[in-house]
Amino acid sequence: MKSNNQPKIVCQNISKVFIQKGSQRVHVLEDISVDVKPNEFVVILGPGQSGKSTLLRIIAGLETPTTGTVTLDGKEVSGPGADRGLVFQSYMLFPWKTVLGNVELGPRLRGIPKKERREVAQRYINLVGLQKFEKHYPHQLSGGMKQRVGIARAYANNPEVMLLDEPFGQLDAQTRYFMEKETARIWETEKRTVLFVTNNIEEAIYLGDRIISLQGKLPGRMHATYEVNLPRPREQTEMKFLELRQKITDASELVL
Amino acid sequence: MSTTTTAASSIANEIQQEVMERKPFSIVAFLKNRWFLYAISLTAFFALWKYVDYTRVLGNGIAAPEKVVVAIYRLMIDTVAGKSLWGHTWASLNRILIGFAIASSIAVPLGILMALNRYVNAVVKPVFDLIKPMPPFAWISCAILWFGIDEPSKIFIIVVGTFVPCLLNSYMGIRLIEPQLYDVVRMLGGSRRDEILQVGFPAAFPAIFAGLQISLSIAWTCVLSAELVSARSGLGFIIIQGMQLARPDFVLAGMVVLAFWAWATTLIVTYLEKFLCPWKRETSLA
Ligand SMILES: Nc1ncnc2c1ncn2[C@@H]1O[C@H](COP(=O)(O)OP(=O)(O)OP(=O)(O)O)[C@@H](O)[C@H]1O
Ligand SMILES: [Mg+2]
Repeated sequence: MKSNNQPKIVCQNISKVFIQKGSQRVHVLEDISVDVKPNEFVVILGPGQSGKSTLLRIIAGLETPTTGTVTLDGKEVSGPGADRGLVFQSYMLFPWKTVLGNVELGPRLRGIPKKERREVAQRYINLVGLQKFEKHYPHQLSGGMKQRVGIARAYANNPEVMLLDEPFGQLDAQTRYFMEKETARIWETEKRTVLFVTNNIEEAIYLGDRIISLQGKLPGRMHATYEVNLPRPREQTEMKFLELRQKITDASELVL
Repeated sequence: MSTTTTAASSIANEIQQEVMERKPFSIVAFLKNRWFLYAISLTAFFALWKYVDYTRVLGNGIAAPEKVVVAIYRLMIDTVAGKSLWGHTWASLNRILIGFAIASSIAVPLGILMALNRYVNAVVKPVFDLIKPMPPFAWISCAILWFGIDEPSKIFIIVVGTFVPCLLNSYMGIRLIEPQLYDVVRMLGGSRRDEILQVGFPAAFPAIFAGLQISLSIAWTCVLSAELVSARSGLGFIIIQGMQLARPDFVLAGMVVLAFWAWATTLIVTYLEKFLCPWKRETSLA
């Protein structure tokens, strides 16, 4: 472990151009620089189609940036790895595995003996509140429960950094609000460095230590950074919360 | 369905129906009942069959339903060309099982390999595309020329017929996998081997199984056509014998038994799939 001032993740001048079939170029990201301190909860806020998923996939090592670099603890990221855990926008659970089978997959791939990995998996299943659902298959779960499995699966592999890509984008407003509270609670119990992508301003303020907003319309660019100095747990009806919300809304072209 | 006495009350019913939009128990609801319609449909079918037989419009070309049942019973006890109905059924089933086993054990791995490796794909695909549109029966003459009229030529037809759907479904099963599922394994620290074992096979399994199911029904068509051309045993042979002896009850008996076994074997595969893919239980049980 490095000293606390050393950033955990550094993204330097990242841009991304996809070359599609027929040499068509899609410019998705332009000059993104982000750094995240250890155990910091950073939210990337951007409208639809602003390259948020692409940025997260670059940090995850699933895509290579066209220019720029991503470093984790000072080492350049060159591919996917177990030191980062990714929670997918559309869950991506394995339908042929039970909740337990999905959650224990990471430890299993790393060759951890059955008894031990069951214990780890069970601990995170309990943490996300899915005890008694271990034997269920994903199709038997609601959307919110599926994403809990996605979060538990990422956590169970014990990554240093959690990357969450609009994890609650497909949920109804009520479930979404509930899941945000759960996320805050889980993060308080299991502190990690978190990069959380969303298009929802309330969600960003509710969860983030810091919010980095992206400009809409491709290519996505950095727009502004907001420090959220509100005590946790936060209330969406607090005065300061609403003020910050107003400030971000005014500054961005986000339509609410 | 009595007419005069209930006429008045049924009119009263209709009036009431108009007043009360939806009645829980009405004649319409009864007529729309699924089971009732099934019964009507089957009764009409057998009645028509019986009527055609009765009027002799098809001459001696058809046997009444009950005669077919008797024929099935007699074929089970008596023998045709040294075999009872059971023996002939087994002869057909045996050919199918051998042909099906040969085809699937080659086509499924080949389809998977083609989907995973583009060089294998580039080598196999042109030849496969050339052979693919050929109806399996087109091979019958070749099969007899190459393998004679015994078992191998019949099995060859089944292999050729079932090879195509087996290979295509395995290939598509792998190709249509959501690529982000592989990303999950990569993010958790898995290797290329883990990707194939944890995602490739299980995700393609339902499609591969669907290919096997289609192949099985094609196998029945293949075995029948091969047996119709030349055979001394099998359900196709019974049908041909029935035709040559001018015994429509034998012909129909052979057809009924064939349909039954084709249905039964497909059902076995369906249940096997439900057993092997418990995660699909909800979605595939309609
Ligand atoms: N592999 C790829 N090849 C070509 N274009 C791509 C690829 N991946 C993403 N894109 C393009 O990049 C653009 C941004 O995609 P991205 O998914 O990063 O945006 P997003 O902000 O996450 O959107 P959303 O809010 O809908 O999730 C899209 O227009 C998409 O077409
Ligand atoms: Mg996205």
